[in-house]
Amino acid sequence: MSELQNKMQGKKAALEISFGWLFAIIAGVIIIFGAIYLSTKIIRTEQETISVETGKEIGILLNPLETSFESAQTTSITIPAETRINNGCELVGNFGEQLIRLDQKSFDKWIETNINIRFSNKYIFSNAQIEGKKFFIFSKPFEFPFKIADLMYITSSKDTYCFISAPDEIEDEISDLSQQNLLTENCSESDIKVCFESNDCDINVNYDMKYVEKDNDEMYFEGDSLMYAAIFADSETYECQLKRLMLRLKEISRLYQEKEIFMGEELCGSNLGWDLNELSELAGSLENSEQLEIIAMTADTVSEKNDARRCMLW
Amino acid sequence: MVRAITKKAQLKIQQMTFMLVAVTFLFILVGVFFLSIKLFNLRKTATILEEENAMLLVSKLANSPEFSCGNSFGSKSNCVDFDKLMVLRERMSEYSEFWGVAKIEVRKVYPDEGNILCNEETYPDCGIIRILDRKVNAGPATSNFVSLCRKEVGEKMIYDKCELARLLVSSEVKG
Repeated sequence: MSELQNKMQGKKAALEISFGWLFAIIAGVIIIFGAIYLSTKIIRTEQETISVETGKEIGILLNPLETSFESAQTTSITIPAETRINNGCELVGNFGEQLIRLDQKSFDKWIETNINIRFSNKYIFSNAQIEGKKFFIFSKPFEFPFKIADLMYITSSKDTYCFISAPDEIEDEISDLSQQNLLTENCSESDIKVCFESNDCDINVNYDMKYVEKDNDEMYFEGDSLMYAAIFADSETYECQLKRLMLRLKEISRLYQEKEIFMGEELCGSNLGWDLNELSELAGSLENSEQLEIIAMTADTVSEKNDARRCMLW
Repeated sequence: MVRAITKKAQLKIQQMTFMLVAVTFLFILVGVFFLSIKLFNLRKTATILEEENAMLLVSKLANSPEFSCGNSFGSKSNCVDFDKLMVLRERMSEYSEFWGVAKIEVRKVYPDEGNILCNEETYPDCGIIRILDRKVNAGPATSNFVSLCRKEVGEKMIYDKCELARLLVSSEVKG
């Protein structure tokens, strides 16, 4: 009996120790790993939230840059952490969408987010990714022939653009803006050179033939605001944003067409309906910047006819 | 004796299981509480950002091409084209998501036309032009004074008639 009791006691002790320890180890490991996993997730979500909030804030801060009768405006944004602004563009819906996605540096490591902030009423021209803490934003209205939108050009303070042999009006405009990273003289070797009279710079502008050559791509423009857009943006962004601008032109042309009808023929006459319709259709069918010239011809006709009206539509 | 020891061990396992379930529930409850606070703060931030958007938008909306007078009434800043707005209110299905706000309307301040909604029958003697109403939970409106201009026919000539109005923009309240 006592032998059996001893045996049982030995087994019981073995069972108690092994189960208790085993349970404590398993539960402890699960809890510790769970806590580490959750805190990592929470930190990451927190960083993503900050990036998304900053992205939205940047978009909102672009609202005051809407111009009225000014020819251009400039401002700067400083973000506390080193930031990468990813500029995207999508052709969805009636007007397409401007996408902003921010990646921020934390403990010397880039925290990449995959949440895009979307705006339908913004047109940002920059390279697909710009990096820095301080960013300059310069805005200029795009009229074709009436105002379509304000174009925003975002550049990092790390990149300095040097305009060489620019036409007088461009040089004056850049000087008047006094934006620190846009120069017309005293350029240094590291600056991005924008040349108007030669073809061996980083960016070459053919002002007479109305195209900008950059990274072996040609981007066609009409008017100075689109020229700046082609200078500061990469070709993919430029072509996509141009299509979005044409979508807005299409809608605004229709708006003026209907305004003319609404005002009635006896008040101001009616001479623009057909041309505005053509402008709207051409704008809606633009495939690339090379076709911009055709739309520009119709836009000129529409502009001349509007100027000749008893009361102008815009 | 063997049965008594087995029962004691089973009781210990049961105690452990109950403890484990209780600890898990405690963690879940703490997690849910923490998440609800985070979600509440996130919604609050989203609403604040929407309000900020509406506030900054209202000051510049009058200059956007869909609203502005352009050069048709001379060079006026903060001038809104009444005829264009009358057409725009009919085209709101295209513009519903464009400005990212819940409501946009223009209310005449002087002369006071009361609460008469503008449509083709009441134009131009009406007080409210409802341009956008997305039928969502809208926050309080932020406003800006504008000139509301249109062309009028006089006895011998066409002249510009501008009235004082307020442009009101309401943001969407999230959650």
